[in-house]
Amino acid sequence: MSIPQIAEWLEGTSVAVLVRESAWGFPIVVAIHILGLTLSVGMVLWFDLRLLGVALRGSSVSAVYRRIIPWAGTGFALMFASGAILLAAYATSAHGNVYFRAKVIALFLAGLNALVYHRFTERHRSRWDEAARPPAAARMAGLISIVAWATVILAGRMMSYTMF
Amino acid sequence: MMTAFGAAMAWVEGSGVAIAIRESLLLTAALSAFHLIGATLVGGGALLGGLRIGGVLFPDQAMADVVRPAGRAILLGLSISIVTGALLFSPRASMAVANGFFQLKMGLLVAAAACHAILHSRRWHSEDQASGFLGLARSMLYIAVILAGSAYILLE
Repeated sequence: MSIPQIAEWLEGTSVAVLVRESAWGFPIVVAIHILGLTLSVGMVLWFDLRLLGVALRGSSVSAVYRRIIPWAGTGFALMFASGAILLAAYATSAHGNVYFRAKVIALFLAGLNALVYHRFTERHRSRWDEAARPPAAARMAGLISIVAWATVILAGRMMSYTMF
Repeated sequence: MMTAFGAAMAWVEGSGVAIAIRESLLLTAALSAFHLIGATLVGGGALLGGLRIGGVLFPDQAMADVVRPAGRAILLGLSISIVTGALLFSPRASMAVANGFFQLKMGLLVAAAACHAILHSRRWHSEDQASGFLGLARSMLYIAVILAGSAYILLE
């Protein structure tokens, strides 16, 4: 099955048809997407700022992570679930949109950055967990995360204006 | 007969900036994107500050160590959102001011900003009940502004 065929199949699913054709489906799913975005990116930003050593320096990096992630994780779950529904509803238009592709690349970068942080950078965290200014690799992870998520937001909003 | 307020809105809509924004989809989209970045900063700051005041997050940290950076994030987000919001408002000023969700959003924003200004003047010197109440009200009001803003965009 080619990508355009998958996109057509997605648009034909019952949830996609419901979002496109009901009066309230689209606004409700977009509102959940925006709330999820505010909760997830708005909260994960504080962990990124702690990695950069510019906020919440009174708490260890691991404590900030432990306290922030349940909130951000709930936001990410809401954002990804509502985003998947929106993508299904307009899959064909999204597939050909340059901003959608930029958004997917930025999402991939954010995910890869988190993976590298947890697999490699965090390995020696006990040495710098309490440090007001974590090492360069950790600071870089925080900076990349902020840039990647800002790009996701920018590309996502540009996409919604240029897709239809 | 056009009122002075109606004339002012018509003047805003006829300004060069409003015309440029109205005629450029990409400019409108870019402004909307930065408006959402500002709203995310406001939401993140409001959540962190509100949860600390409520004793849910970082209860072991001094109130000011959490609430102050949260307040700075809110102010940065507000600065971005107000500038981009004013520019987005300009091409459709008459329609926006007549919209119930827009009126609600502006009312909530004024109330949230008032709480913010009072809290700033108190400088969180004490962790008294009034500061706690105001901080919590500020957080809830800013989140309500984001909800009303979403409703305005989606249901206008």
